[in-house]
Amino acid sequence: MRVEYINPFVESAFNVLKEVVGGELTRGDLYLKSTTHPVLGITVIVGLAGDVEGSVIIDMSEETALAIASVMNGEELSDFDDLGKATISELANMITAQAVTKLYDLGFKFDLTPPAMITGQNLEVSNAGVETLIVPVDMPQGKIEINVAIRERG
Amino acid sequence: MDTAVNQTVLEEAGDLQQKIDFKMVTFRLGGKDYGIDIMKVKEILKGNKFTFVPNTLPYVAGVYNLRGDIIPIIDLRKMFYLPGDVKKHKAQEEVIILRLADDLILGIIVDSISKVQGIVSDTIQPPHPLFGDINIKYIAGVVEYEKHLFIILDVERIFSETAESFEQIQPTGEKEKKGIIKKAAAREADYNFVVETLRTFKSFYVSDLNRKWVENRFKEWRTFREDENKPIQLADPEDAGQYLEKYFSPYTNMLWGADYKENLLKLMPDPPEGMFNVWNPGCGRGFESYSIASIARIKYPESPFKIWSSDNDLLSISAAPNLQLDRNEIPDYFFKAQLIVEQDKGCKFIDAIKANIIYEYHDLTHNNELPKLDMIIARDILSFFDLSLQDHLLTDFREHLKDGGILILGINEEISGHGWYRLEQGNIIAYKKDKT
Repeated sequence: MRVEYINPFVESAFNVLKEVVGGELTRGDLYLKSTTHPVLGITVIVGLAGDVEGSVIIDMSEETALAIASVMNGEELSDFDDLGKATISELANMITAQAVTKLYDLGFKFDLTPPAMITGQNLEVSNAGVETLIVPVDMPQGKIEINVAIRERG
Repeated sequence: MDTAVNQTVLEEAGDLQQKIDFKMVTFRLGGKDYGIDIMKVKEILKGNKFTFVPNTLPYVAGVYNLRGDIIPIIDLRKMFYLPGDVKKHKAQEEVIILRLADDLILGIIVDSISKVQGIVSDTIQPPHPLFGDINIKYIAGVVEYEKHLFIILDVERIFSETAESFEQIQPTGEKEKKGIIKKAAAREADYNFVVETLRTFKSFYVSDLNRKWVENRFKEWRTFREDENKPIQLADPEDAGQYLEKYFSPYTNMLWGADYKENLLKLMPDPPEGMFNVWNPGCGRGFESYSIASIARIKYPESPFKIWSSDNDLLSISAAPNLQLDRNEIPDYFFKAQLIVEQDKGCKFIDAIKANIIYEYHDLTHNNELPKLDMIIARDILSFFDLSLQDHLLTDFREHLKDGGILILGINEEISGHGWYRLEQGNIIAYKKDKT
């Protein structure tokens, strides 16, 4: 993945999470994965198109999702209902949108698709042939992983 | 008639089934058939990602995570000095997981697992002293079944032996030879130790690619260390670093000098039709890529070109797109060709150069997605991948190159084999992809 793309995603993930959730945030080391990787349980996919093609996958466990949705809504949610799902989808949308805005300022033009949420146990994501950058963020509510898989349009 | 025959077959089968009282898992090893008592076999599996454990016996292939239990994997071919099957890259090894007394679980790699064979225990014969390949005390017996001779291994005995008695497994002839060539062996042991420690400390893998250099360097190193009154063996990463310091090509981690530029200019083909694509894996902080881009600009002032650069070190590669340079580390030709501009904070490459380089944070062992390439410049990186990956990457390089494309490796790296035509241009070693 082009190095120019990395920082916008890392920064926007950090900014958005800090702004809407708050608390102590620490970023884990970035690393690369090839094709297939397991996901934690609640997964939001935002597609990217334009100069590049790819997707951003934001991934967390259900407990983490519930805790974050509770903070964002200002009320304690007891189960992961439609409100929770909409909240987490919106979070993914905010992170990706802010990254895309930053990228636009650098001269890269991306479009995004509406977020799609997938929930379940023992899920795996395959991005055939596209290497994925993993940005792990540790929060008081738990761990969030932001997976960015982008390739240049050939 | 038919019924009569069937009748006999059935009867025979029935007879045999009644008597079958020993089942064994059969497998092939070095071209022969072997069996292991099925009661000792926990399961079988295929795998290839065994985690290497340093400083173990040579036949320990590594450890494997079997659903959370870490178990040792033994390469039976190496243990018994049998000729091994050469497995292709990423080929799955066939592994038999054994459960021995005291719940000791371990895996053994064999050439191929055949099947489970039921036999009559009375037909098992004691091993004959002439069975040379494997020390007789590890053989529980021999049995013939359907014209195949199976050697039944006594796995309890093999693996209850402690590591110290490993010597005994070696064929006897091997030991005698050892006495005679003890001194040579000691030197070889030192060499082998160096090879091992280069891998452990620097993940530098000795292969055909670099063996010549490593061996020559070893001679030099021995004299050097003896003069210094230090042990020949590499004790820590610093030693290994010192051993390797002469390995790297000219102008590593700096802009390429004028002599190197002239040589590369001669290796570059005439202006191609369309885009001139160069792949530069392992570009580090980008000195190499900027040099290549600048030389390409000098060679092809009119034609478009693109340098695809990547590295798996995030810190280095992140610095590459905005590399700042000191006036005194830049050879003159960069200024002459007006490729670098001087600013208050230091010197920078002009945008026309930068725009032609794509820097990617990328792991070479993953899928390499690139257009057809005119040139690959991969200096001093292959040696830092294990042997199967070296092979895999060379194949990958070949697939990505156009016919007649040029591959440039490090000065101390060489590839043999057909399909590559070696070119030497001063201090650059290059290989041209043959059309065949």
